[in-house]
Amino acid sequence: MLKVLITFLLALSFLACTKKDKQSGSNEYGLKNSETLRIVVDREPPSLDWSIATDTESALITNNLMEGLVAYNLKDPELSLQPALALKWTSSENAKKWTFKLRRGVKWSDGVEFTAQQIVDSWVRLLSPLTASEYAYFLFGIKNAKEFNKGTIKDSKQLGIKVSPQGDIQVELESSMSYFPYLLTHSSTFPIRLDLIKKHGVNKWTEAGNHVGLGPFNLKVWEHDKVIILERNERYYGEKAKVKNVLGYIVGEKSTALNLFDNGQVDAVKDLPKSELRFLAKKKEFIKESMLGIFYLGFNVKKAPFDNVLVRKAFIHAIDRNEIVKVLGAGEVPLKGWVPQGMFGHNNNVGLAFDVAKAKKYLNEAGFTDLTKFPKIEIGFNTNENHQRVIENVQAQLKRNLGISVDLKNEEWKVYLNTLKSNAPHMFRMGWVADYPDPDNFLNLMTSYSDNNHTGWGDTQYDHYIEEAVSVADKSVRKLIYQKAQKILLEKGASVFPTYSMVQTHMVSQRVKNFPVNAVYQFLFKDVELEKAK
Amino acid sequence: MSRERKRKLITSVLSILFAATVLLNFFNYEVPTFLWALDGIVLFGLLSYYIITQKLVTYMVKRSLEAAVVLVIIATMTFLLLRIIPGGPFDQEKALPPEVIANIEAKYQLNEPVYMQYYYYISGLLRGDLGESYKYVGRSVTDILAETLPNSIQLGFYALLISFLIGIPTGVIAASKHNTWIDNLSMTLAISGVSLPSFLVAAIFILVFCFSLNWLPPALWEGPEYYILPIVVLGIRPAAVIARLTRSSVLEVISSDYIRTARAKGLSERSILFKHVLKNSLIPVLTFSGPLIAGILSGSFIIEMIFAVPGMGKHLIQSVSNRDYPLVLGVTLIFSVLLVLSNLVVDLLYSFFDPRINLS
Amino acid sequence: MSNITQQQIRTPKSLWSESYDRLKKNKASVVSFWFIVVICLVALFAETLAPYPYYEQYIDDILASPNSKYLLGTDSLGRDMLSRLIYGARMSMAVGIFTAIISLFIGATYGAISGWFGGKIDAVLMRFVDILYSIPTLVLLILVKVIFDSLNLFEDPELKALTGILLALSVVGWVNLARVVRGQVLQVKEMTYVEAAKAMGASHIWILIKHVFPNILGPVIVLLTFQIPANILFESFLSFIGLGLQPPFSSWGVLANEGWRSLRSFPHLIVSPGIVLFLVMLSFNLFGDGLRDAFDPKMKK
Repeated sequence: MLKVLITFLLALSFLACTKKDKQSGSNEYGLKNSETLRIVVDREPPSLDWSIATDTESALITNNLMEGLVAYNLKDPELSLQPALALKWTSSENAKKWTFKLRRGVKWSDGVEFTAQQIVDSWVRLLSPLTASEYAYFLFGIKNAKEFNKGTIKDSKQLGIKVSPQGDIQVELESSMSYFPYLLTHSSTFPIRLDLIKKHGVNKWTEAGNHVGLGPFNLKVWEHDKVIILERNERYYGEKAKVKNVLGYIVGEKSTALNLFDNGQVDAVKDLPKSELRFLAKKKEFIKESMLGIFYLGFNVKKAPFDNVLVRKAFIHAIDRNEIVKVLGAGEVPLKGWVPQGMFGHNNNVGLAFDVAKAKKYLNEAGFTDLTKFPKIEIGFNTNENHQRVIENVQAQLKRNLGISVDLKNEEWKVYLNTLKSNAPHMFRMGWVADYPDPDNFLNLMTSYSDNNHTGWGDTQYDHYIEEAVSVADKSVRKLIYQKAQKILLEKGASVFPTYSMVQTHMVSQRVKNFPVNAVYQFLFKDVELEKAK
Repeated sequence: MSRERKRKLITSVLSILFAATVLLNFFNYEVPTFLWALDGIVLFGLLSYYIITQKLVTYMVKRSLEAAVVLVIIATMTFLLLRIIPGGPFDQEKALPPEVIANIEAKYQLNEPVYMQYYYYISGLLRGDLGESYKYVGRSVTDILAETLPNSIQLGFYALLISFLIGIPTGVIAASKHNTWIDNLSMTLAISGVSLPSFLVAAIFILVFCFSLNWLPPALWEGPEYYILPIVVLGIRPAAVIARLTRSSVLEVISSDYIRTARAKGLSERSILFKHVLKNSLIPVLTFSGPLIAGILSGSFIIEMIFAVPGMGKHLIQSVSNRDYPLVLGVTLIFSVLLVLSNLVVDLLYSFFDPRINLS
Repeated sequence: MSNITQQQIRTPKSLWSESYDRLKKNKASVVSFWFIVVICLVALFAETLAPYPYYEQYIDDILASPNSKYLLGTDSLGRDMLSRLIYGARMSMAVGIFTAIISLFIGATYGAISGWFGGKIDAVLMRFVDILYSIPTLVLLILVKVIFDSLNLFEDPELKALTGILLALSVVGWVNLARVVRGQVLQVKEMTYVEAAKAMGASHIWILIKHVFPNILGPVIVLLTFQIPANILFESFLSFIGLGLQPPFSSWGVLANEGWRSLRSFPHLIVSPGIVLFLVMLSFNLFGDGLRDAFDPKMKK
């Protein structure tokens, strides 16, 4: 009997081994490698419903499946806007009323015509309290939008969104907002098909097979937690995508992604692990690009000794940003001002520079003559390899430059957020990545009424400048106002220590041409070309 | 046909059936539905036959009821712990306006008192509804589990299989060559198997088998060649434990009186080993399977991360850091069900192999 | 009566010395034991032994390969690996030993009460243990860790860094000990000398301490020897999921986790912590094996 069993098993395994004669050069999904861009998606996209999704991975996919009224001109270093579904847009009355003239004859991937109503549907859906979208606040600038989202206004007709008889979109805002069109590059404002949502149900319409879009690719396969495949959309109104398929493996662990890259199974890996940068930066596949984001340390000005501005100034003077950047090693840019590199308003001539002598002088003036008796302070940060490097270096620098020992307190992310809200530590790390490429997005953070200002610092003059700047259309005037505001924030208040301007790092295979790397972190794959294997 | 031959025939047919399913599944064949069905029916039939003939029906009912109570208690404990942890599911770097937060809380009934939330959750649970994930908006927890659990089970099952296939023979050989270099070597290897963190073992294996030898892919879950590394790395630790357990168990049996008697009777060493020693010494190994399965389940998280296996393990960790309450609860409960089930099966097997134990 | 005296002759002492003789013959165990002693000494005298402070960053020597200045090289923040390894011994051993002690304390008390009083108390207590057994350890571990970390129980930074880990690992670890102790107590309870002591009117606590504990100490010590390395490994696992020891402290788990990704880029980051971790695990297990064989008369050759 045993013999029969063994023979049978052997036969079966033999059969099994010969089963797959894969066509060489194609993968498990039958896609030819020469026609397929293979990328790593860092985590399962939480949702491909663009009214609901809020994270970078969902945006990465959605931006290739859909388009909005306007798009970034990614070739322009100033990131101006270019027409997408809207051909032209005009504003009146100090940027309070906007009109968008739409492109005609555009078809969804199922052949249905694109209409202005689909834009209105999308914005109403985004703002509806029932949708409970986190990004609803994106459109809070629109007239009555906040009240509608709150539920105090029930009728969506009262919103400042109309379709004109000519089929244009007319938007009326609560107050002037010079950067309003920039918001429309964001996926949460893309048009939506209510008929599809109705047909497939609110939870299933984003699955492969049900999903329909206006962008250069279609969603072909979405095996949750495993793989996403995009396929060229032949109905796309613009220039068709050059690559036939995009295959995204969902791989959470970065070292795994790099292993796959080294093994030739994927063409690109983004956000490289910091510990490996010094090794990877030497390779020819390495790509680095600035990003509209800042890393900063905040002081809790309600807590002694940082209730004294002299102590805050002393600490800022005592930390050398260059050393931090050196420890990080990805080519981050030291940041003295509050606006990241690559955005207008960026200015490294404001703010306080590294100067240990000054630091000691300020501490002396503040009454701390014996620094060994300096009160115990704590720097808080959330558990993360990158943050840990920075904070540990800050700790070492304070010890070396001032002789002050500080305690570190790292917390799990959500616990940390809770701590910041309820009882922020003496010093804490935080960051901000642009929602839209405008300095307002950064300076607004530190207004006295901002929910994101955890320092407890506030200045009415500062608040005033920020409000004033939004209504000004002239960029050079705004630049000046922002300059003054930054002086108040960084030199008078000294409530934050801007540390560096973020960068992004990638490994991209040599066979990929035109890999989309840009400051707004949008990955649009339609222009990617693949070189034939040699 | 004699009774003995009949028994042998049945055992062989069943072994072939199961082996076929296992192999087909491993080599990524579409296992025909009828084969799954056949496996299921046979297993269920055997189990019911055993339960009925051994008069275990009341025992089973009792155990199931107990299990249900245990699961509700676990759900309650996890629910409470989750509410104690600081930080909510929708806290994030960029603070949301109060209107938006109010809408989200209303959608998930988070604005109601905790006891009401608990009531909603438990009543949903009793209806078999695990709720919707907060993070993966619109996906029900049941869907997420249904999509990821099979991969985890596949990984865990093969790891278990391989750990028995390696562990038991190693243990038996080591014991039969007690105090020789073979014994020492295999036991040193076994101890080494539990001496490094599994992520390090995985890294070393990837370095050797992918980048030095170029035999196997470093990650993904696409076919047999992809399965081998994660299964082996996950199986090493249990294999080592089983080998040590088997060895000491065999040693104990060998030195027992009845084996001495058998020896004295002049039975061949081989027949002693297979007929008497093995059967008796495997019982303690079997009892260990419960904790073993638990270990494989919790160890699978690291392996799933490193080898990009689309399994459930990573949800266990990530859902906690996302404060995705329904998903944490769902994953916890599924793990608990698996543990409870495996303990039950182990108990049944135990009583099957060791007639002295009376479950009822 | 003669029965009782015979039992009493087998007092713990003679059992201990017998075991000690058996242990001495096991060379691997003896070597392992001395290795563990050396590691403990290193942990105790880390300040004197380490060439540099474990937290100091030498920015100009980031990721230096092993050289005469830094014997094992430096890490990605420019900290001396040898010093971090030496200080790591302190934290890792602290995690291993203290967790074992805390879980022993909880587990032994729980198990002893359960086994000694038996009946309804035993049934209830053991049912609770069963429930704990059915919760996936990992979930419990993570939840408890996050909660304890957010409590900030201690001021001292070293203690603060350790509490969460210690408590979380103990909460998970005591269950096993409770079961073993209960089983042993149940066995010992039936022994005639305990019955005799009971008959003579000794109090429960007295009997437990005087007669029961010495007799179950053997198996418990063996279990602890296996628990310590398991805890040290578990700590590395916590580091892997980002819930390990807080920076800038170093433990072997932290080092292993920082290093394993660099196996191909900067192997010096993982080779030394890997080897040390491996040897320590090996020693504890070999020593534990030796102890078990020594305490278990059945294994006598």
